[in-house]
Amino acid sequence: MDRGMTGWVAFGVIWVLTVAAGFTFLWRYKLRPGEAEGPPAVWPTESRIPRRQDRATLVLFAHPQCPCTRASLAELARLMARFEDRLSADVVFLRPSDVGADWDHTDLWPRASAIRGVTTVRDDDGVEAARFRALTSGATALYDAQGRLLFGGGITSARGHEGDSLGLRRIRSLLLTGEADRHDAPVFGCALRNEPARRAARGSEEERQ
Amino acid sequence: MRTEDPVALATQAIVRRAEQRFQAHRLEIVTWTDRFFARLMVGQWLFGILIALVLSPYAWEGKVRTVHVHVWLAVFLGGAISVLPIALAVWRGGWVVTRHVIAAAQMLWSALLIHLTGGRIETHFHVFGSLGILAFYRDWTVLVTGTVIVVADHLIRGIAWPESVYGIVNPEWWRFLEHAFWVTFSVVFLAVSCLRSLKEMRLIAERGAHIEALSEAEWRRSSVLERAAKVPA
Repeated sequence: MDRGMTGWVAFGVIWVLTVAAGFTFLWRYKLRPGEAEGPPAVWPTESRIPRRQDRATLVLFAHPQCPCTRASLAELARLMARFEDRLSADVVFLRPSDVGADWDHTDLWPRASAIRGVTTVRDDDGVEAARFRALTSGATALYDAQGRLLFGGGITSARGHEGDSLGLRRIRSLLLTGEADRHDAPVFGCALRNEPARRAARGSEEERQ
Repeated sequence: MRTEDPVALATQAIVRRAEQRFQAHRLEIVTWTDRFFARLMVGQWLFGILIALVLSPYAWEGKVRTVHVHVWLAVFLGGAISVLPIALAVWRGGWVVTRHVIAAAQMLWSALLIHLTGGRIETHFHVFGSLGILAFYRDWTVLVTGTVIVVADHLIRGIAWPESVYGIVNPEWWRFLEHAFWVTFSVVFLAVSCLRSLKEMRLIAERGAHIEALSEAEWRRSSVLERAAKVPA
């Protein structure tokens, strides 16, 4: 084999390894779930989000700037198209303190508002997210008409990836049959709070206990 | 055995010339397609970066933002996918390995673009569009390489992360065959089209060689007549 050919073969081997490493990194990133504590077993009474008494209520917490949450909203739209008659949904958008006036005015808000049966709610400083223990954008809690938790978790299969998922499948099963193999699923999305804020929230929670 | 029959010799010369013309035409098409794909690779790279910057510029942790992994992947993984096919197209245009590497890279671009657009079903059409463009080579084996990469991607992801391929969590075992069938469906017709194109190219080369031979014979005959006319009686 001449020197030129050896060079191309070496280039080819390096190329294959680099591309394989890149796709492995991509898949690992997409499949790494965000933090989740699980929503409370009973609808928090102090919550200002209205709960419907005649049907199940789904609450989805969203970071207005998180690009991954577009996939969660796309899946919510599919879910609502099928279960609009037996499900009410609220998309709760985080709005931290001391951010600009337009910080939460992103394409996600009109996208959520456009879904039939969905109400959008602004969550100043993440108060509601803390009540529902939502840590990651896309975190979804489903409560029945009596306010009992049916499901808590995510509704996408990976970070920012549309398509069916364990969470969606379990919610569908719960709404159709009242049963599911599990009542949770991993949540994929941006963190609703940064690490110092999460630590502070955990500290104040421990103090209260 | 050496044949002396002038008709047989002329026929052999025409066949050789037809083969030369066919190979030259084929090389021209393959080299042009290599260069076309080199430009397409650059275009897809820029498009991938643009998509990442528009759709997912930042990842967030509360109020803190960082550049989204999609942007880095579009730049570096997109660049890595493109660099070898571009280098081969520039320095080894027309080489059989070049077009197979390009076919593999084009399918890898489909996979990357699907991820960068958040798994949108519409982006999956890039696979079929790419197979159509690969048919520009008029070489059905290139389509096989492209199909193998698609199948390998489906196999690996189908095992590790089925919902990213099939849209459902527990796909039936034959779902793999369903996807493979539609890719094969497309590839079979493109391959038939490639073979027909080659047949037509061969026919054009043969006609060209015939016309060349006739022109040459005519030129020789007229030269002889001219020389004869100039000779004083």
